[in-house]
Amino acid sequence: MDITSVLPTECLSHIISLTSPRDACRLLAVSPAIRSAANSESVWKKFLPSDYREILSDSVSSSSLLTSLSKKELYFHLCHNPVLINNGTMSFAPEKESGKKIYMIGARGLSISLGDEPANWIWISLPESRFPEVAELKLVWWFEVKGRIETKILSSKTTYAAYLVFKFAESRHGFGRRPVTLGVYIEGSDNQERRRPVLDPPANMQSLAQDRADGWVEIEMGEFFNENGDDGTLVCSVFDFSSGYTKRGIIIQGIELRPNAKNSR
Amino acid sequence: MSEVEMAVIKPEMMKSYIWLQTADGAIQQVEQEVAMFCPLICHEVIHKGMGSSKNYAISLPQRVNPAMLSLILDYCRFHQVPGRSNKERKSFDEKFIRMDTKRLCELTSAADSLQLKPLVDLTSRALARIIEGKSPEEIREIFHLPDDLTEVSGACGNCVCLASQFPYVYNFNIDYILQEEKLEPLKNTTDDPRIRLLNRLYAKKRKELKEREKLKNVEVEEERVDERSVDDLLSFINGKERDSKVIKSSKNKKKHRRKKDQPKNTCSNEATKTHKQESNGLNLVCLSAEVGYKFRPDLGESSNVQNVEDDIFVRKVDFEDVDVDDEIDPALKEKIDREVEDFARRLNSDWPERMQEILSLGQDMRPLHHSINGNGTITKYAK
Repeated sequence: MDITSVLPTECLSHIISLTSPRDACRLLAVSPAIRSAANSESVWKKFLPSDYREILSDSVSSSSLLTSLSKKELYFHLCHNPVLINNGTMSFAPEKESGKKIYMIGARGLSISLGDEPANWIWISLPESRFPEVAELKLVWWFEVKGRIETKILSSKTTYAAYLVFKFAESRHGFGRRPVTLGVYIEGSDNQERRRPVLDPPANMQSLAQDRADGWVEIEMGEFFNENGDDGTLVCSVFDFSSGYTKRGIIIQGIELRPNAKNSR
Repeated sequence: MSEVEMAVIKPEMMKSYIWLQTADGAIQQVEQEVAMFCPLICHEVIHKGMGSSKNYAISLPQRVNPAMLSLILDYCRFHQVPGRSNKERKSFDEKFIRMDTKRLCELTSAADSLQLKPLVDLTSRALARIIEGKSPEEIREIFHLPDDLTEVSGACGNCVCLASQFPYVYNFNIDYILQEEKLEPLKNTTDDPRIRLLNRLYAKKRKELKEREKLKNVEVEEERVDERSVDDLLSFINGKERDSKVIKSSKNKKKHRRKKDQPKNTCSNEATKTHKQESNGLNLVCLSAEVGYKFRPDLGESSNVQNVEDDIFVRKVDFEDVDVDDEIDPALKEKIDREVEDFARRLNSDWPERMQEILSLGQDMRPLHHSINGNGTITKYAK
């Protein structure tokens, strides 16, 4: 007696939808009957974020995806190809392991002090960026970048980590020795927790910044546990000011929020 | 009757019962409030007026056998009482689902047919927890699933179309192909371990064919027309390589001659079962369990395909040195074949997913678009 003769496919699919995307993929290798249950639309619809249709409808390019791809194909497509939403100022993708939401606020969606002053920041297009424009620092003394995101769009019961996604131009200055101040907090109730890493340390010092698969570098800014999404606006900030040092040469793609590795499913 | 007796009888007479009939014909009566907890029964009673007497017993769906009905009624009997706290209910549920996997499956099925959603959710979650984190091999064991996957990789002539480059795979008979073809080694420009092994396979096959010519009068195992894939045989070879490592100090009836003295393979920590009927002490299950463990499709790393395979395959045994043992015990050989087939299927079935990974990350693989159909003809494959 085997499970597939006892349980109808809908029951199997229901059980599989209670596992994880990774488990569902493993199940594809078990037997043909289990494979077809694991491939079913209901399973992958459950793994996609519940409001995926809403999110995708905000993206001009993605409406065709909804009709042409199966839910499973859509899931993996989105994991590898984040969609641009909010007028191209944000990107969205599900996290492959869990289906939880990953958002990146693009540079155009951030509040950058003096960002509109061409003497201080310029806006350029880079092929390796998912956004049409990224911000490159020409010269400032006051370096401040803030990203704001509504907690209600984040996945609930999830610990998120915020990452500054950036890289350095050939010629840069002001990030080699001086640390920047990173913070993640709820607007209106600042927890005052800050981190102070050096973004561009010399070769003999260990850097806290990590390389990303997309060719950019990221550094963790802080964490936030999203219970139900009713905490209001989350602020992620980078800041440094020194009258003695100017800064130049950092290129910012955006700030990414994704579930951190410590999450239990 | 005395007043006391009347007082005792009255509550019993006022209690209502619903009559239920299971598929085996057995009829029983159940307290109304318990039975009505099941939406299906509720519907039958209210909308069809059934269940009020033995002659009008509600026929339950076939998936509800008497044993399952009994369990379901226990569940209903507890939960239909309104006064219970959440803590009590949760505690009951946790104890309730402690049963073997087979019964859990039957219970899920039965509860589903009665539309008893809370119980379906409870049992489904329990089954999901059992499935989580396990390899396909482990899942097959737990649910007693047969190894009936017949999808295997396609191969054609002197080209190897690796299943990882195809979304679909076909049956074929590799023995047939290898005998028909020249068994020439393939060019391995990418140093793909699979091609390396296929070349070894060809070498082995050539050798085997030669030996069959010589030993025609010796009783050897019948040449089976079987469905083994490239990978079955690759794994078979690999299994043989491993076998020779494991059989170091075995109490064989038939001695396995080895040229090299290999260290004993300490894989017992990975084995999920150790029952053995052969007296040779060979732990084949260990092989498949270990392999199963290593072959979890890793969603995050496409390069894992090569790394994992390298772990298992890259034992640089010069193939000509390995003894082709003429005296393989047929029962043992069958056991090897089974393990190997299982292993191969696992590989093959994982590939579509892995391929998706690889393609999505834009790696440049050059698929060779040929495949052999079951009848030996070649089909050109447009991707």
